[in-house]
Amino acid sequence: MILDRSQRGWALSTLAAFLVATVSYAITAAGEPDGPRGGSAPGLLFGGAAYAIVLFAALLGVRRRLAGWQVGRAAGWLRAHVWLGLLSYPLILFHAGFRFGGPLAFTLLVLFTLVWASGVAGMLIQHFLPRILTESVDQETVYEQIDQVCAQLRREAETLVGGAGGKTAAVPRAKTAGAIQGRVVESRSAVEEPAADRAPLERFLADTMAAFFASKGVRSSPLWEHHRRAALFAGLRQRVVPALHPVTRDLEALCSQREQLEIQRRIHLWMHGWLFVHVPLAYALVALGAVHAVAALSY
Amino acid sequence: MATPEEPVGRLVGEALTAEEMLALPVFEGTSKALLEKNIGAVVRRVFPPGEIICREGEFGSTAFYILEGAAEVFLATPLAHLKGKPRRSGLFGRMASFLQSWARRAPEGEADPGGGGTIPVDGPVDLPLDNPIADLGERDLFGEMTCINFYPRSATVRAKTRVVALEMLRNMLDVLKRGSKAFKEQLDTNYRERALSTHLKSLPLFRGLTPEFVEKLRERVELVSFEPGKVICGQGDPADKLFLIRMGFVKVSQASPGGDVTLQYLHRGDYFGEMGLLGSGVRTATCTALDHVEVVQIGREEFEEMMREFPAMRAGMEQKAREHAASNALRMESLAALPVDEFLEQGLMGAQSLLLIDLERCTRCDACVHACAATHEGVTRLVRDGLRYDKYLVPTSCRSCMDPLCMIGCPVGSIRRKEDLEIVIEDWCIGCGLCAKNCPYGNINMHILGEAEGGGEEKKAKPKQKAITCDLCAGQASGPSCVYACPHDAALRVDPREFFLEERGR
Repeated sequence: MILDRSQRGWALSTLAAFLVATVSYAITAAGEPDGPRGGSAPGLLFGGAAYAIVLFAALLGVRRRLAGWQVGRAAGWLRAHVWLGLLSYPLILFHAGFRFGGPLAFTLLVLFTLVWASGVAGMLIQHFLPRILTESVDQETVYEQIDQVCAQLRREAETLVGGAGGKTAAVPRAKTAGAIQGRVVESRSAVEEPAADRAPLERFLADTMAAFFASKGVRSSPLWEHHRRAALFAGLRQRVVPALHPVTRDLEALCSQREQLEIQRRIHLWMHGWLFVHVPLAYALVALGAVHAVAALSY
Repeated sequence: MATPEEPVGRLVGEALTAEEMLALPVFEGTSKALLEKNIGAVVRRVFPPGEIICREGEFGSTAFYILEGAAEVFLATPLAHLKGKPRRSGLFGRMASFLQSWARRAPEGEADPGGGGTIPVDGPVDLPLDNPIADLGERDLFGEMTCINFYPRSATVRAKTRVVALEMLRNMLDVLKRGSKAFKEQLDTNYRERALSTHLKSLPLFRGLTPEFVEKLRERVELVSFEPGKVICGQGDPADKLFLIRMGFVKVSQASPGGDVTLQYLHRGDYFGEMGLLGSGVRTATCTALDHVEVVQIGREEFEEMMREFPAMRAGMEQKAREHAASNALRMESLAALPVDEFLEQGLMGAQSLLLIDLERCTRCDACVHACAATHEGVTRLVRDGLRYDKYLVPTSCRSCMDPLCMIGCPVGSIRRKEDLEIVIEDWCIGCGLCAKNCPYGNINMHILGEAEGGGEEKKAKPKQKAITCDLCAGQASGPSCVYACPHDAALRVDPREFFLEERGR
C-alpha cells in the first residue's frame, strides 16, 4: 500500500481518534492517584477497543481467502487494517497504564509490540519495494514461474550452443519503445559451425553457466557480478571463432535475464517475507488476548 | 467408376464419374467438361445409422449434400456454464453463492442469449437453444461455411437412418452453385422454407412479425452472395435495403480522418442497413464481406410496409438505431482526440476497457488473479504478465477491443459483444479455438472441461474444451473482481484513451 494523498482521510481520522484517546487517558489518569488500571471502566474501554481492532485486523486474512466475496473493496479493508492497527498500540498502552503487569500481560504487550512493529515494517516495505522492483527488474515474470523460466533459459542456451539441426532458440530481451517496456522474445537460428569450434562454448555452458541457471546458489556464481560476467564473456569471445560471437552475446543476454529473475525473487521474498512474522504473531495475539480478557473479567 | 472406398485426393469415398454426376438431379445443368475437370472433388459416402458424419470443432474443407436418408444435427459439447459463477463449498459458501447468484441474476427480459433462442449452425436449420438438435433430410446441404471459408465445423451431424451423401470440396461446390440452377434453387428454397422465419424470429426485434407477413417476405426477399472483400453497401450510398446475414462475416466500418474505423463484426443471424432506412436514407457506414457472405435482402418497400404494420417493431428498431448511432459517434469522437504515439502500436488505443496494474503500487500478491478465479469457477481469466506501458503493466486479460478480431469466424456465433463493452462467450461455444487463435493479444484461453468420446473414423478421445475470456464480471454490481479484490488500489479498469490523456496532462 502506498502512503500517498489518498490516505489523508484515514490519517486525519486516526490522528483525531488518537488525540481524543490521549486526552481521555490524561483526564482519567489525573483522577486516579495510583494511576489508571486496566480493570477500571476507562481501562476496559481502551482494552476492549484495542482488542476489537485486533480482531478486525485479523479478518483481513479471511477477506483475502474469500477473494470472490462481495464484502467491501479489499483496498478499503487494507486501509482500515493499517490505520486502525496503528491506533491500537497507543490504546493498549492506555489500557495497561504504561505498566507491564503480570507474566500474561507482559507477554501480551511484547507480542503486541512485535505484531505492531512488524506491521509498520511491512507497511514501509510495501510502500517502497514495488517501486524498486519495477525499476530494477524490467524482465519480470510471474513469481511462481521463475524456476520454469530459468529451466527454459537453460534449454535455450543449450540450443544456441548445440547448433546442430538448424534449431531456433528464443532469446528474451528487455525492449523499450517510448513508454512501452517489456520482455520480448527474439528468435535466433543456431549458428552452424564445426563441432571443434563450438567446444569452448560447450565447456563454458557446462562449467560456468549451468549452475547459474539452477534455482539455488546463483549468487555464488561468477556470473552474478556484472563486471566478472562481462570479463568472462569477453574471454569466451577470444576463444571462439568470430562467427560464434553473436552466440556469446545471446548467452550473455540469457544470463542477464537470469540475474533479473534472481533479483525479482529476492525482492519478492522481502516484500512478502515479513508476513511470516506478522501473521503467526497476530494469530497468537488474538488467542492470548482472548485468554487475557476471559481471565481478567472472571477474576 | 473409381474403385469404391478408395481415397480420392483429400476425400475418402466412392469417386463419381462425370456421367454418374450428371445422372443425379443435383448436377442438372452443369457442364460435363467442367465436371470432368473436377473428378475427385466429390465422392459418394454411405453412413450407417448412428455414424458421425462430421464433428463440431474439427477443421475441414468439405460440404455434404444428402442424397438419401435422414440425419440429426446437434451440439455434442455441453452448454457448460463458464460464466461468472463462484465455486464455493460449505454452508457459508453455499449461502454466499446463492445470495450472489440472486444478486447477479439478469433482470426479466434481459436474458438475451444472443441468438434470441437459437444457435446458428452451418446448415439449413438453426438449433433451438434449449434443446440444440434438429433434423436434416434429403437435398439438404451442410458444412458450406467450412467448405467455402475453412471455418471449423459448427455442429455434429449423425446419421439417423442409412445416409447416402455427397461429400465435396470447394471447387465442386462452386461448380454446383454457379452451374446448376436446380442446386441453387434447391438451396434457396430450403433457406426460405426452413431458416428464414427462424432467423427472423431469432432476432428480438423481429419476433412480433405475424406468420402471414413472414410468408409474404419469404416470396419477396432476395438471396444474394458476396465474395470476400466486396463492399455490400458503402457509407454515403442511398439506403434501399435491409440485410439479414445468412452466411459469413460482415465488417461494419466508418471513415475517419485517420482511416477507416471498424465499428463491429456481424455474423449469421445479424442484420444491418436499418439505420439508413430509418434515418436520412443514406448509409451511415460501410459494410464489407469479410469472407464468402450470403445475405437476405429485404427491399425498402417491404421494409416500410413492415414498419407500418408493426409500429412496436419500428419503435424498437428506431431505439436500437439511436443507441448504435450514439455509441458510434462517441467512438469516433474519442478517436479524434487521440494522441498518435507508440502506445497505439500495442493495440492499447483499440481497447475499450483495459486492465492496468500500477506496478509502483502492486505488491505482486496475486489477489486479482485469485479473485478472478474465485469468480469464475476456479479458472482465472487473467494472467499477471505482459508488456509495460510506463509504470503500468498491461496483463493478459480481455481488452474489449474496438475491433474485436476474435469474433471473426466463430462457427456458432457464440462469441459476441453486448451493447455495453464486454465480449462474452456464450455457453454453446463448441471449443474450436478459433477465437483464441484470432485474438492478437493471446487473451482468450481454452479451458479443458473433460474427455469427450472419439469421433469419426478415429476413436481417439478428444478433450472437450471451451473458450474463456474476461467478461468484466458482467452482472456483478461491484464491477470486475480483479479491481475489487486489489488491496493496494493497483488494479484499474480504464478507458485507455481517457486515462492516458489524463496521465499526460499531469
